[in-house]
Amino acid sequence: MSQDSYIQLKSVSKKYSRGGEDLIVLDQLDLNIPDGDYAALMGPSGSGKTTILNLVGGLDVPDSGTVTVAETEVSSIPTRQLPAWRARHVGFVFQSFNLLPVLTAHENVMLPLQLTPLSAAERKKQADFALEIVGLSDRAGHRPSQLSGGQEQRVAIARAIATDPDVIIADEPTGDLDRNSADEILELLNRLNEELGKTILMVTHDPAAASNARRILKLDKGHLVSDEINRQASGQTQGEA
Amino acid sequence: MNFPVRLAFRHVFSNKTRNGLTILAITIAVFLLCFLLAVVRGIDAGVRSASSTRLVTQSAVSLFVTLPMSYRPKIDAQEAVTVASEFRWFGGYYQDPSNFFPQFAVNKDRFVDMYVKDFEIIEGPNGITGPGARDAVKKAFATEKRAAIIGMGLRDDEKYNFQIGDTVPIIPAIYQRADGGAWDYVIVGIFKPLKARIPDKIMYFRSDYLNDSIESGEAFGEVAAGVYYVNIDQGSQAEMIATSIDQDFLNGPQRTQTVTEAAFASFFVSAIGNLPLFLGTVGGAVLFSIFFSVVNAMLIAGRQRLKEAGILQALGFPPITSCLLLIIEGLAVALIGGALGLALAISTQDLVVLNFGDSIRNYEIDSGLILLAIGTSSVLGITAGLCAGIPFLRYRPTEALRSLG
Ligand SMILES: Nc1ncnc2c1ncn2[C@@H]1O[C@H](COP(=O)(O)OP(=O)(O)O)[C@@H](O)[C@H]1O
Ligand SMILES: [Mg+2]
Repeated sequence: MSQDSYIQLKSVSKKYSRGGEDLIVLDQLDLNIPDGDYAALMGPSGSGKTTILNLVGGLDVPDSGTVTVAETEVSSIPTRQLPAWRARHVGFVFQSFNLLPVLTAHENVMLPLQLTPLSAAERKKQADFALEIVGLSDRAGHRPSQLSGGQEQRVAIARAIATDPDVIIADEPTGDLDRNSADEILELLNRLNEELGKTILMVTHDPAAASNARRILKLDKGHLVSDEINRQASGQTQGEA
Repeated sequence: MNFPVRLAFRHVFSNKTRNGLTILAITIAVFLLCFLLAVVRGIDAGVRSASSTRLVTQSAVSLFVTLPMSYRPKIDAQEAVTVASEFRWFGGYYQDPSNFFPQFAVNKDRFVDMYVKDFEIIEGPNGITGPGARDAVKKAFATEKRAAIIGMGLRDDEKYNFQIGDTVPIIPAIYQRADGGAWDYVIVGIFKPLKARIPDKIMYFRSDYLNDSIESGEAFGEVAAGVYYVNIDQGSQAEMIATSIDQDFLNGPQRTQTVTEAAFASFFVSAIGNLPLFLGTVGGAVLFSIFFSVVNAMLIAGRQRLKEAGILQALGFPPITSCLLLIIEGLAVALIGGALGLALAISTQDLVVLNFGDSIRNYEIDSGLILLAIGTSSVLGITAGLCAGIPFLRYRPTEALRSLG
């Protein structure tokens, strides 16, 4: 595998059958994202963006082709072992935050740490640290219903990075937020990429959001129609990756 | 507390209304289960404590047709019969109809010998107690025509407070007196039951007092024996003796049907509508419907967990986590309900005995029932949790995250 392809989709096809009819979502798609990159994936609704994220995150498997993340061929991991792989390598951030409402912010961040071999004290330390990174240490004991949307998403990001995964997958992370909150989240993602070296793959409709990424991918009808380096963003951190 | 348990408990307490109602339903079901089973076992204990060395000879026609007095010598003459006595239902009450206890007219010479194993005479005339009391009571019962022997409950209950030597008026329900008054009985003996079948509020008096009064016109009714209780030798063939007795009376004047006391007791129980079966059915039906309401509550909980299941799987939890969470939740709800039901059953135990003690002897929520209640609740909770949880084993996280995300 080439050194600089951290996330690699090779000739990936994915179709869904709906009411007897096959819907081809991805058609022999190739995609390469280097280690430490921050890529924004854009495209019209229904073009297969979420499908790509699910394949990269090991939530779904392709019909054909291979998906490789950090030198592991995800598409050939047995279904039963996929959850454990996800726990170690991927952090998910969703549009609608997806915190568990019955747990506090701190407990939500603790969730993925339950799957690690860390001691209880180490887990707590990791969770504290993750909340500190997103600037919400003072809200640790709050339930999601007691937080603003922006704060909820920051907790979700803390949860995604708590186990220190290689890859952050974000599906329209600012889609449900106002401009100010969205900018805070984008700022946070920039820091995760630049300071912590996380490889980020983010789906977004928002050009302002995309302009934060180093690379902008455009998808249409299951095909990659454009793959450009974003000079504006990558210029700021030249030579970092 | 480790994570799945903590999360499951958060769910238990985050759906207060639904889970509260489910817990209430289980509380009532477990209480009823304990109550009904304790009642059934109380009745059962009575049947089982009936002697196998005692027969009951009754009319072949019906329990309510009485046998003549002349039968006793013939029954007594049977080989292997040690002692026989007539037993006749009197059905009176003391002062007020609510003060009801059973009274039986029995043979003045035979009765005391008949119940040696069934009760201990604890008090006789002139303050006699201890081993000598039985003979003293036997003598007094044979001497005083109005003599009565009572269970200690009639002495100890303040409502009655019958003591040796007291003359006790019993108002008749069947055998009215010509003077319109009560029957007077003189207490000559007090016993303590040794068998669950025998209540401690009961009175035995002499059949000749009843029959002679009827014959002389002092009272109304018919001179008769009722049924006969027949003690037989230990180790003799009860069936054969029963057949032999019935053969003797094949040509009348009344044909008989002789059964063991145990069979008679269970017949008596079934005569009031086969109570154990009825109560068992009620308990089963309650449990069955509660089971479905618990399953239903858990299925609703399961549907509310679709998104959570998707999130947990995205975070790397295996699909079985959501199933486990629902099982723990079901178990917690069921055990809370079960514990409350059990607590209710145990705390009302004395109340039940106080109010129904005469009809339900041996009512007790014992360790067996407690285990059964906990076991039933556990099975209920786990099964309901499984019903809701199993679909999650094959659940695809992408579906949940897409449809709800
Ligand atoms: N499980 C599924 N069953 C059937 N069709 C699906 C399923 N998942 C996605 N699709 C369809 O595949 C297409 C691509 O979906 P998706 O990857 O979510 O698009 P995007 O995220 O770019 O909006 C859409 O038309 C969607 O309706
Ligand atoms: Mg999408």
